[in-house]
Amino acid sequence: MMIKHESQKIAQNFYTFAILLFLVQVVVGVIAAVQFIWPDFFILNFNTIRTLHINALVVWLLVGFMGATYYVVSEESDTELWSLPLAKFQFWATVATVITVVLGYIIMGLYPQANILVFGTRLLNEGREYIEAPRWADILIVISFLLFLLNCFMTVLKTKKWTGIQGVLLGGLVFLALMYLPGMIYTKSMVKDQFWWWWVVHLWVEGSWGLIASALLAFMLMKLVGARREVVEKWMYVEVGLVMFTGILGTGHHYYWIGTPEYWLWVGGIFSSLEPIPLLIMLWDAFRTTREYREVTNKVGLFYAVAHVILYFAGAGLWGVIHTLPQVNKWTHGTQITTAHGHLAFYGAYVLLVMAMIYVTLPAIRGVKEFNSSRAYQSFWWLTISMVFIVLTITGGGMVQTYMERLMGLDYVAVKATYNLWFWIFRAIFGVSFLIGVGIFVVDYFKLGKETTAPA
Amino acid sequence: MSNKAVKNLFIWGSLFFFAIFVALTFDTMGKLDKRAPEITADVNAGKMVWHKYDCIGCHTILGNGSYFAPDMTKTAEKKPKEYLKKFLMDPKAVNPKASMPKLGISPEEADKLLAFLEWTSKVDTNNWPPKPILATAISVGGRELTEGQKLYQSLRCSACHMINGIGGRGAPELTNVGSKRDRAWLIGYLKNPSAYVPNSVMPAFGHLKEKELNDLVDYLLTLKQEVKK
Repeated sequence: MMIKHESQKIAQNFYTFAILLFLVQVVVGVIAAVQFIWPDFFILNFNTIRTLHINALVVWLLVGFMGATYYVVSEESDTELWSLPLAKFQFWATVATVITVVLGYIIMGLYPQANILVFGTRLLNEGREYIEAPRWADILIVISFLLFLLNCFMTVLKTKKWTGIQGVLLGGLVFLALMYLPGMIYTKSMVKDQFWWWWVVHLWVEGSWGLIASALLAFMLMKLVGARREVVEKWMYVEVGLVMFTGILGTGHHYYWIGTPEYWLWVGGIFSSLEPIPLLIMLWDAFRTTREYREVTNKVGLFYAVAHVILYFAGAGLWGVIHTLPQVNKWTHGTQITTAHGHLAFYGAYVLLVMAMIYVTLPAIRGVKEFNSSRAYQSFWWLTISMVFIVLTITGGGMVQTYMERLMGLDYVAVKATYNLWFWIFRAIFGVSFLIGVGIFVVDYFKLGKETTAPA
Repeated sequence: MSNKAVKNLFIWGSLFFFAIFVALTFDTMGKLDKRAPEITADVNAGKMVWHKYDCIGCHTILGNGSYFAPDMTKTAEKKPKEYLKKFLMDPKAVNPKASMPKLGISPEEADKLLAFLEWTSKVDTNNWPPKPILATAISVGGRELTEGQKLYQSLRCSACHMINGIGGRGAPELTNVGSKRDRAWLIGYLKNPSAYVPNSVMPAFGHLKEKELNDLVDYLLTLKQEVKK
């Protein structure tokens, strides 16, 4: 497979930046894991490390989506990007903004008093989980994202090939941009603050990102096994339809205990319980398609794509549904059970998605037909086995916490520092082995297609 | 079904569910203010302090946040204000084992934060967090409690003190207090803690009746179990 259009190569810039942020995310993740055992372990406090951990995650996935989208839009429209210089500018603008924001977090971590008020908003850190980026950065991020969307839409308009994949992908990205806006509302009420905050967080990961994932999965299935567009797109519509029908009102599962009316217990309980269904269909879709078509050109790409749907279902679906009913969530809300779900869901749904897109598109970008895929499998097993054990240890910690703190009434700190200590130790060890997996992946990314040795 | 039909179902169905979501949001926004106390200038200023120090980077509030440190929703209800204020300004001075770093929170900022936390503790959260089953069971039946034990519970001493593994870790453990202190010391301390322990963060209980103080101390003096380290 070779790229058809020179401008598709821009995807590689985004992938590189995404992967470097992935590495940063996991390094700080290991530091955070050690701080659970030894809070004074590092020069930066846990809150700064944790902010870096979750922000690096969100940003590297978004940057990965952007790179993949430039590639897909050019391919699907069968034309060069509308403006390559604009794409390059948008890339470097994103890099500059992200680096400045990260420096701001670090400064704030070292000198909390530096987080002053400027025009009514915080200069360095907004102090709101996931959307800590200060307002000036929000505005720059929105501008960069609008330039990205403009470039994509103008490319589609060049040839007017509105394929289903393009429609859902770009629709998902527009939805994503719109859902960033409720995060910029300041309210005096913490209840309203969290209400709008969930519009961003939930409607991203269980709404717009789901659309992007379905569209990219459909694209990969076509490229990997030569599946027919009509079939792939039909199932994609079924999946994204169900993602939206269950996910939008499924937001209600965040409105059980934050001061919102009781009817959300019903709305959230019913709709979020249905949220695993589209993920199960996605899983079945991937298995059926890959069984039906046997002309696999890129085995490792297919391996990652299928692994993505399996762990998407396990992490977002199974690990989500176990604590989504209000009767259960009353006891588990705000415990490590949520952390366990978050880790497996993000890994399966989005980390493996971006990695799969990289393994599907990078060989074409680098102009290689065959490549040594042994490192790709190695990194997969290091990452996945480590993540499974990380999730099991945090789930164990969450169960102990729910039982001892919530049911028996023991003190939070006593449970965390004493009864859960071994879970934190194991989690940190598996964190290090996850980091090894990332290291292998980073090496593989930079070497792919550049080695002269014959494929294994 | 044709691809076009499935596509239309997806688009119109999504818009339909989004419209319901927006309608529910409108309804909710109209009801929220009645489910919480009034937001004074101090409460809002406290919320700004909450954001300034990125408190959510370690704590949860209303159950959302970082799971690294205790949930703050009902803190103001559980712990005495004097304790919380001193703790916020210099955690390790109050409790050497505390993980929380000294962030440079000023006395004014601490007051505002406490006003904010007092507000969150009064939000109607559909009874979250639920009362622990074990703690509830002890207070309702099984065995007869002495007057002192009842006072220990109603004054919520266990929010900070621990006896036999049950209770908080913010203040000294009381499992063995009966072998360490005598009646006179305990009564004097309860009436005026800082006269006995300089900079004590314990609130004074001088408002208790003499009989209540004696009942409570009777109970404390029975606690003579050796603490195994």
